Amino acid sequence: MREVIQVFDAGTRRTAVVLPFALAEILDDWGAVRRAMRGPVPEPFVRDEWAYLMSFVGDAQLRSVFTATFGQPAPDGPADVLAAPREPVAVWLPNNVTLLGPLIAVLLSLPGAATTIKIGSNAEDLVRPFIAWLREHAPEGPLASWLRERVELLAVERDDPLHATLAREAAVRIAFGSDEGVDGIEALPHPATSQGFAFGDRRSEAWVSSARAAEPGICDTLVRVFGIYGQVGCTAPRRVVVIDGSPEDARALRDRLVCRWPEIVPARPAMHIASANLAACQEAAVAGWDPVLVDDHRAMVACGPASAPVIESVQSLFITAANTAEATSTAPANLQTIGHALEDPGSSEWTSAVLRSGAERFVPVARMHHFGPIWDGFAYWRALFREVETVR
Amino acid sequence: MNPVLQRSALLDRPPFGPREDETLLAELLALTHRHLAGCPEYAAMWPDWSGAEALTELPFVHTTVFKHMRLRTEGEGIAHQREVRSSATSGQAPSAISLDAHSAERQAVSTRAVLEDFLDPHPRPLVVLDSASALRSRALGARTAAALALRPLSSDLRFVLGAPEDPESLDWDAVLATLGDGDELLVYGFTWMLWLGWAQADVPERLREVRVDFVHSGGWKKLETISVAREEFDSALLATVGAGSRVLDYYGMTEQIGMIFPLCPHGVRHVPTWGDVLVRDPWTLEPLPPGEVGMLQLLNVLALGAPYHSVLSEDVGQLVPGPCACGRGGRTFVLDGRVPKAELRGCANA
Repeated sequence: MREVIQVFDAGTRRTAVVLPFALAEILDDWGAVRRAMRGPVPEPFVRDEWAYLMSFVGDAQLRSVFTATFGQPAPDGPADVLAAPREPVAVWLPNNVTLLGPLIAVLLSLPGAATTIKIGSNAEDLVRPFIAWLREHAPEGPLASWLRERVELLAVERDDPLHATLAREAAVRIAFGSDEGVDGIEALPHPATSQGFAFGDRRSEAWVSSARAAEPGICDTLVRVFGIYGQVGCTAPRRVVVIDGSPEDARALRDRLVCRWPEIVPARPAMHIASANLAACQEAAVAGWDPVLVDDHRAMVACGPASAPVIESVQSLFITAANTAEATSTAPANLQTIGHALEDPGSSEWTSAVLRSGAERFVPVARMHHFGPIWDGFAYWRALFREVETVR
Repeated sequence: MNPVLQRSALLDRPPFGPREDETLLAELLALTHRHLAGCPEYAAMWPDWSGAEALTELPFVHTTVFKHMRLRTEGEGIAHQREVRSSATSGQAPSAISLDAHSAERQAVSTRAVLEDFLDPHPRPLVVLDSASALRSRALGARTAAALALRPLSSDLRFVLGAPEDPESLDWDAVLATLGDGDELLVYGFTWMLWLGWAQADVPERLREVRVDFVHSGGWKKLETISVAREEFDSALLATVGAGSRVLDYYGMTEQIGMIFPLCPHGVRHVPTWGDVLVRDPWTLEPLPPGEVGMLQLLNVLALGAPYHSVLSEDVGQLVPGPCACGRGGRTFVLDGRVPKAELRGCANA
């Protein structure tokens, strides 16, 4: 196998990254793929998903994975660290996985390691059709070779002994799923020197200042970010907190969301979603919320006190007004992402609040779904590389 | 006695006689006010409701709510007893309905009247494809509750499964012992259980001399997955027993206990006069005319202990226009199945 070295400089440390191909080659391949993606959206992707994938495989986006991890590209020369891909890599994806599957596949292509992706055994998933599409459209080169020779998709039942084999042989284990599911994978015997990342059940929120809550753009962004997957998306806000707002501010935001929703999500929902929204409307009322159904039952949006429990229902969004302390104390224990629309999100006030909240990400609302080399607080992508300290 | 607790006037009418929708509306309005006063959760769901001039304007509870909440109406004369729980297929939480003596009495009257209209009213031994252990549970399962509703038509009752979820554990000796020297038998089971436990079994020869009325409910979902059609189901059952035997399929929900909607030989389901079925557009809730498919809202005057007198189900169907050729009067509908579910595509962690 080829060994191509690319040096990166992070200021205090130079890293020589050893890849089985030149970085420029695989980025060129992704560029060709991206051009091919401009054609018709293949089944079963929806337009928004495909558009996000297209932006994700962009040259700058993929280069940023390296620069965020190792620093800026630098001329050849001595390095403090050698970084070479660990392999094999094993990834577990649950049945209902969405873009996470394709997204992690894209990032795994960059080290080019041998990879097995366990996919759902009985459900629609996106990684299988994405890999199939890539195998058809990637130009001959390192990306096509990786897809053809180094990627295996594995559809097995939960109790299949292949899970144990994967865990035993993998140098890196990455598991997405329910808390129970990822705990089960981590409990499988594995080498003590291997790396394991368990991404379990998480929740997200949006924190919006009362002034910015009145901006039409924020309202539309909230609908887009929530509407694509609703509560099923771990990075979608189940609750929007109008920071330092009044109950009237929360109600006004609810009403704007209800008004704008059909414009932004024009399609009628499936019958079972419409029905679930109606049920959630009744349950929310019992729980102390003031719920409203969007036209054609596209969604249920409710406003109410921060102490009221969020009702689990796929297209139900809850709006509350609270100060930062209340927002933090009533946030879910498994908070992953806070999407912000605040006047000064960089201020020390927010640094402290974010730390207290337990959130792993604090990003603009529009970037809540953006996947990257650090997830849930873990630098899992960096761990795809074995690092060798070199002192000369 | 509180007038609401008095027996419904409609329960004294023939189940499938002329409809008296004004009386029905009046009784349902009284029930609605009672539940609004005695069930705070129900009142929270309908804070602005002030009255109805038509059945379509009556408030309802979505069936899913019963899976997540224990609704109870407190008030004069109501003593809550056991719960009935749905069978909770498809991995969902079961619905739980609180039973009380007044409602149970009405429900028994309702079930008996409907079944007597479709089956011979004289008592005969009843065997139930369930395990007797189900009776000892604090919460009554939907299957057991349905079986017990047939008690008024039975002279003797026996639960004949060794294990509650295993139709192949059917104890044929117990069936024959219950039958004794008789030549008539009533058999109840969930549809899929009757298929696997009876229609697919080596049935004792003695039963070929017996006239059997099979009564089943619980739906076709499990049989559809193994491609068993209704005609095949009926003929397989009838092939095991004597001449004159019949198969009666009825639709009912745990959230509508006591209300059963039998399928007549002309393929439609009949609504008793003490209840009604509305069909609603799933996206607007507009009531739909006969022939248009929507979600079924089921109403009854039997439910005193909790607001299950008006339930929006996730079953899908359509009203059928005109009188039924079977001669029964009243409203009829066709049940088309459940609201179609699709896998929710979401982030891995949900």
